Amino acid sequence: MPEWRAAVRQRLAALGLRPEREAEIVEELSQHLEDRCAALCAALGEEAAERAALAELDELAVASGEELAGTPAAGLAAAPGKDLARAPGAGAGAAAGRDLAGTAGRPPRAAEPGLAAALRAVESKRRERPALGAPRRASWRRLDLDVRYAVRALARQRGFTVVVTLTLALTLGATTAMFTVVDGVLLRAFPYPRIDRIVALSETTRHGDSMSVSWPNYVDWRDHNDVFESIGVFRGQTANLSGGDRPERLDASLASASLFQVLGLPAELGRSFGAAEDRPATERVALISDRLWRGRFAADPAVVGRVLDLDGEPHRVIGVMPAAMRFPSRSTDVWLPLGEFVDSFPKDRGNHPGLAALARLEPGVSVALARAHMDLLARQIERRNPDTNYDHTIAVDPFYEQTVSGVRPALLTLLGAVACVLLVGCANLANLMLARAEARRREIAVRTALGASRASIVQQLLAESVLLALLGGALGTALAAWCVRRFVASDPAGLPRIDLVGIDSRVLVFTILLALVVGLLFGLVPALHAAAGGSATALQEAGRGAGGGRGRLRSALVVAEVTLAFVLLAGAGLLIRSFARLLDVDPGFAPARVMTARFTLPAARYREQARWLAFHDELLRRVQSLPGVEVAALSSAVPMAGGAAESGVMAEGQPIGPHGPGTECMFETGTPGYLRAMGIRLLRGRAFTEHDRETSPPVAIVEEALVRKLFPGGDGLGKRIAFEASGQSLKEMKPIYREIVGVVRHVRHFGLTAEPPYLQLYVPLRQLPLWMQDRRPSMALVVRTALSPERLSAAMRRTMAALDPEIPLFGLQTMRAAIGQQTEQPRLSASLLAGFAGLAGLLAVLGIYGVLSCWVAERRHEIGVRMALGAGRAQVLRLVLGKGMRLTAAGLALGLGAALAASLALRTLLFGVGPHDPAVFALVTVLLAVAALAACYFPGRGASRLDPREALLYQ
Amino acid sequence: MQHKERFDRELKKGSAELLILSLVEARARHGYELGRLIEARSQGALSFRVASLYPLLYRLERRGWIAGRWVEKAGERRRRYYQLTAAGRKVLAEQRSGWRAFVRAVNAIVEGEHA
Repeated sequence: MPEWRAAVRQRLAALGLRPEREAEIVEELSQHLEDRCAALCAALGEEAAERAALAELDELAVASGEELAGTPAAGLAAAPGKDLARAPGAGAGAAAGRDLAGTAGRPPRAAEPGLAAALRAVESKRRERPALGAPRRASWRRLDLDVRYAVRALARQRGFTVVVTLTLALTLGATTAMFTVVDGVLLRAFPYPRIDRIVALSETTRHGDSMSVSWPNYVDWRDHNDVFESIGVFRGQTANLSGGDRPERLDASLASASLFQVLGLPAELGRSFGAAEDRPATERVALISDRLWRGRFAADPAVVGRVLDLDGEPHRVIGVMPAAMRFPSRSTDVWLPLGEFVDSFPKDRGNHPGLAALARLEPGVSVALARAHMDLLARQIERRNPDTNYDHTIAVDPFYEQTVSGVRPALLTLLGAVACVLLVGCANLANLMLARAEARRREIAVRTALGASRASIVQQLLAESVLLALLGGALGTALAAWCVRRFVASDPAGLPRIDLVGIDSRVLVFTILLALVVGLLFGLVPALHAAAGGSATALQEAGRGAGGGRGRLRSALVVAEVTLAFVLLAGAGLLIRSFARLLDVDPGFAPARVMTARFTLPAARYREQARWLAFHDELLRRVQSLPGVEVAALSSAVPMAGGAAESGVMAEGQPIGPHGPGTECMFETGTPGYLRAMGIRLLRGRAFTEHDRETSPPVAIVEEALVRKLFPGGDGLGKRIAFEASGQSLKEMKPIYREIVGVVRHVRHFGLTAEPPYLQLYVPLRQLPLWMQDRRPSMALVVRTALSPERLSAAMRRTMAALDPEIPLFGLQTMRAAIGQQTEQPRLSASLLAGFAGLAGLLAVLGIYGVLSCWVAERRHEIGVRMALGAGRAQVLRLVLGKGMRLTAAGLALGLGAALAASLALRTLLFGVGPHDPAVFALVTVLLAVAALAACYFPGRGASRLDPREALLYQ
Repeated sequence: MQHKERFDRELKKGSAELLILSLVEARARHGYELGRLIEARSQGALSFRVASLYPLLYRLERRGWIAGRWVEKAGERRRRYYQLTAAGRKVLAEQRSGWRAFVRAVNAIVEGEHA
């Protein structure tokens, strides 16, 4: 049996076909010849049949004659065929002797045989065809092969695969989770169209103290500017919704019609406010939120036109705002029109009734231009109203900035940190891959020797790393989804839109791209290294250690890991120290076992002061008698909750400056037990008693700083102060003096980190300040208990419901929780960064361990020689430790420099600690050095225990 | 003998494509089978040898009239089977009607002498 394949291949050789194509043709034609030979065998005998079949292979390709003539290649190479083709008749003689049946076989001709000539015509065209289908299919096939090979290779080394996948899952998962939050909070578009054109306006002094807008000032801004399309005014407040099963306290907002123009969101049902709602009207109306509509009214479209009982007054619903409307806060459920309140705004420019303004810039107007324009306007207003608007200007701040600026530094810091962790992870994996490539050098060398190109080996190795990265990315995404869900469920304070954050297609695309980049990042350099070098030297070297270049690369990667870990640990250290400082802040009261809850008596039903006071007396009496209650009290303000009334304060006989008394105070009113219930320490004098009543001399309790300021050197007791006056203007004002009967510590009202410089004073509830007589404050019930305060809340609600079922008790929380809210964001930042830093540190230490282990393994022979020549175990240990610690020291030095620069970015997040806190930097250095030493010790100990004989035999 | 060869060649030149397309119309066939069928059905008057058959098949394939694919049947080695494509079906229909017209025309002349 002749070698048919060889015969066919020989005839195709000159064509230079692609190997795959050639193999295909060879297979097909040799099969044909075999079949043909078998068929002829019976008639001719084996030998003749073979010859006949072979001869047919060289028969002229008649049918494709015209094609032959058309291709220059065929024309040149196939001289006999060409003649025939051009003039079939003329060439007949040349072929005449040939038997068509092929029974009398002739030896193949020396010139290009008919088959090759015919095929050249077809196959050369096949090659010239625009390479669309086939080559792409081929590269897909290659890729498919690479992936299959990678899967097999990874399945063989399960330990390696698991370690790498877990590292990737942790680092990619952390990155995905952080990106999800940053994307949802900072990057994603807000629902308000062209949010970049929306600005927040506020009144400030030229020193930067900001305050709410007084009504007459707002009217001037609205009527005398040409930089804004519209200016809206709003005020966050609450509303009691009664009727139905149970009363509910809703977050509400006063809103001018223009506010909806500024935000650019129309109502999803009915309509939003128009100009008519800005004017006082007999009928009260309201807009409700999508959430309230769905939650309380089962998304009934007939809700428009229904009447709700809000604060004891009927309000007709005129529209439902879409879910995207989350202004002024995401919990706002009701918007009430300006007209309902406009008459109650003080006409005095010095009075700031809690209003805030939002405006949309005219097209083409920049924020800077708007600022300049509004500053000019502020000066004009100040000139006409020197008493009230002295030194006032108007702050114009981009709304988006204002919304996110509070959380951006922390979020970006954490995102940066998690990116560093990812880089450390990549460095670690690159090291692992390098070590693995080292171990696979023989395999790669063999493949190179068998003709694999460098590119194909790189592609193969990259397929493995990308596959690993995608696997890790998938696991990491699952991890991130879990973390983000838990994080969102914890409802972290102060993160706008956090409730909308979740893993979606945008995040998935990010993660897939990131995983691909990461796979290339940690796979490319090792792959290039592995594929470098000739196959012969690689085969020889394969059994031995790595070249110096590879070792240096691995060392450099470890140094980079230590550097990054240092930066992260230093950042985490600073945040933790800052957090500890925050916890050390004395809030001025004793938060343990104190429960607070707020309520607002509707002005409609409790208009007379006597009725208002009587309700509070009765409530207090009932709560006081609840089991477990030590002291119950009422107060118009509670610590950490901000908002108390503010005013200027003066000592009796003190001359008043042209702009009122120069000392600002905040005042609150409370019942006699308040200081005891809140645990505010009385330094001097007495607390209020039941005898401090409307009819008794007016008294006040003040903080010690107020005494120091107004009565330097004295104890203040018995002195008189005034923070209110009867009369409309400064000239006709008659101060209302109160005698100081007690002095207390300063109490933190605005948080642990910042506190406005207001001096605090307290007055008895029975001696209600004038300002509060006009505008009754919402009150807080404060209870100190012997039991756990949470257990009281149900009893407190029941008591309130028994007294007046229409009045909801809201904001129930312990004072511990109130402080906890203050520390929540710093705690979160510090613990997240600490987690990231810990992960990076662990990866870096593992990196040191891995590199040293490889280094020792590669130098077994050398170490054996050293030991044979008399080196002791201690010397060997020192050698290894020295190598490891040199790398660590380089990493620490670089890390110190990088951390000193990077920690400056943390400055806004730090409280009570500098960005270059020496204690933190020293601690991090020691910590990393000790961890690195431990990581070096184990390979070192292994090396020192080598048996020199074995090591010398080891090649 | 010379006569037969010339007849064969001339006819094949004009009709080879039509022959192949017709044979793969009903079902897919491999190359050897095609060669054998042509020879058998023409009772030896027409024959395609390997050197002309396969270049022709590849050319038809390249034009997208037939599609070859490797098929492995139980107990047999794998073979390349050629199948008529949709484009090939259209071409076959055209060539077939052209051929019939040609034969009718030739017949009208050739048979006319006898009539």
